[in-house]
Amino acid sequence: MDRISIAGTERTPEVDFDFPQGRLKLGGESYPEDAAAFFGPLQQALAAFLENRERGPLTFEIALTYFNSSSAKALMNMFMLLDDAAAGGAAVTVRWLHAADDDTIQEAGEDFAADFEHARFELVEQP
Amino acid sequence: MSAAELAPEEEAGRQARPVSLRGAGPARFAGAEGGVGNLPTADAGATMNPGALRGAAQVRDLDSLAHTLFVRIYPVIGAALLFTQCAIAFINYSDTTRIRTEQAQSLAHLAAAAIVKPGWEQDPATERTLQAVVAEPGVRRAVLRDRGGRLLAAAGEEIGPRAPGVLSVSAEISRGQDEGPEGTLALIVSGENLRVFAQQQALLTLGAILVLMLAFVLTLHLNVRRHVLAPLQRLLRAMNQVERKTWTHVDPEGRFRPANEIDSVCLAFNRMVDGLQAGDEAKQLLARLEEAHRQLEAANRLVMESIGYARRIQTSTLPARDALRGSGLEVAVLWQPLHLVGGDYYWMEELDDVSVLVVADCTGHGVPGAFITLIVAMALDQILHHDRLRSPSAILAALDRIVRVRLRQDGRGAESDDGLDCGICVWRRATREVVFSGAGLSLIYVQDGQAVRVRGRRRGIGFAGRDAADPTFEEIPIRAGEGTCFYLVTDGVTDQMGGTGGSTRRLLGYRGLGGIFLRHQERPLSVQIDALKTELAHYRGSQEARDDMTVIAFRPLRPEGATA
Repeated sequence: MDRISIAGTERTPEVDFDFPQGRLKLGGESYPEDAAAFFGPLQQALAAFLENRERGPLTFEIALTYFNSSSAKALMNMFMLLDDAAAGGAAVTVRWLHAADDDTIQEAGEDFAADFEHARFELVEQP
Repeated sequence: MSAAELAPEEEAGRQARPVSLRGAGPARFAGAEGGVGNLPTADAGATMNPGALRGAAQVRDLDSLAHTLFVRIYPVIGAALLFTQCAIAFINYSDTTRIRTEQAQSLAHLAAAAIVKPGWEQDPATERTLQAVVAEPGVRRAVLRDRGGRLLAAAGEEIGPRAPGVLSVSAEISRGQDEGPEGTLALIVSGENLRVFAQQQALLTLGAILVLMLAFVLTLHLNVRRHVLAPLQRLLRAMNQVERKTWTHVDPEGRFRPANEIDSVCLAFNRMVDGLQAGDEAKQLLARLEEAHRQLEAANRLVMESIGYARRIQTSTLPARDALRGSGLEVAVLWQPLHLVGGDYYWMEELDDVSVLVVADCTGHGVPGAFITLIVAMALDQILHHDRLRSPSAILAALDRIVRVRLRQDGRGAESDDGLDCGICVWRRATREVVFSGAGLSLIYVQDGQAVRVRGRRRGIGFAGRDAADPTFEEIPIRAGEGTCFYLVTDGVTDQMGGTGGSTRRLLGYRGLGGIFLRHQERPLSVQIDALKTELAHYRGSQEARDDMTVIAFRPLRPEGATA
């Protein structure tokens, strides 16, 4: 599966899904008018990758500074895919990056963390 | 030769179009006085009026250029030729005359030498000599005189030495250097053929000049036609077409190379055409863009009018601002949808002995969000008035059930994965207690100089994709102290993107919002709401608001009868 790189815009996040290396990244801000249209293809690519991948560690790093509720829903859907993969034995690590004084993003990370049962979830505070 | 004669030959195979070139002359290009290099180029072209070419296209007859050149140049060349040829003829004539005179002189000396001998006057040999001399070509008369000038003998024609067209020479007849002359021999030779020769030469020169003139005219015409006129006419034709906005280039390399200057003019013209074309295309593009803009504006106005109407409907589903008057609460509301209508909804009502305050943040904003708020409004009406539920957790559970049914999220094939965050406060006046229950929404209260956030259940209400409906909602009772302020807020308020001037933007968050509430806690709630709006705008700075915002602020009033 090829790498997916999408430059960030004002309303959509920067995407770098490096499937061959097992490193996926999201950054910036995410509040597209139609979140399903933006995240749908990413979610499908992730699902296809998880289905066919060979065993190997996978890291998903999220460094969003703002996201709307529909983006949160899309993130949730991807997290569920990852947790299912982890349940199947994959070494999945989700790193949630937030600024030290950003309690909203930190809290969102904590909320997401509660939904993971199998994957490793790291809340990373950045100075 | 006229321009009309030129065109078919030079333009064979081209699109032939009659062009009137009457009354033209050397082409003068408007604005070209500054030199070829100063012709308008691409950037200037955009502002050039196509009509400006009209003046350039209506030039006088191009063909008379050759004529003008001929009339101006040929007399000078002709005069110079005539003058030099005449000078040469004159020199020739003088030279030949001199040579002929010298030859005649030698002949006279020789004859004199032959004649002189004793008794020559009577010698019959003298007469023979004279006859022999006259027989020489060109010698017309020989006259022999004695010392005294008396005519002794003569031979040849009877003409005098002053006759026209003759040369006369004489030689003394003398026996030796020391002896005196015994007589003279005068010869008259013909100079007429010399003059004729000179005249012939003059005529020849004249003929040569005429031939030269003819050759000159032909060459001039041919060359001017090929290298100047034909390219200029191509240029003119192109100008006429450009005037009609048919963007044509001039091919500077026709069958014959044009003169350098014309070549430059052609190239400059082509650049100008490019510029004009680009300008024209830009203008057309702009016109199309303006048209599209007008249409978009019309479409947008239509949509905005429609949404404006929708806003009136949505606001009519909201309670009156003074719905809780007499309930013992001071209340102020901020309801600010991002796009006229929105997914934020609130409800306040005094029922029996309690007041119910509801804030809901439905998924999405704008029109889609507004649809869900209508479901919530209907559901709340049923819950509060038909089911008569009064506890916040029960109201939330019922709301969850109704929304799922309405959106077919109860296992009947939902097309919508929507839902809402909701916070409900019930104010029990008798016990001065506020009971809060929340689903994805928090309550903030400010008491004793502290802003406290009470989180509801993390999960919202509705949503097809989640686990089966979870009807458990926690109830959190809060005793209202003296002057305690309560705020039910949607996340559009905390999710203000902005910052303190740092490089990365931050969300305001509950901590930031709590700080704002703390700063204004003593003020009337309506003033607090205004202050909040100002502070949020200040925090956002250049950033736009990104979500609908709703705040219900309420503060229990001092109980009646209590004294300050």
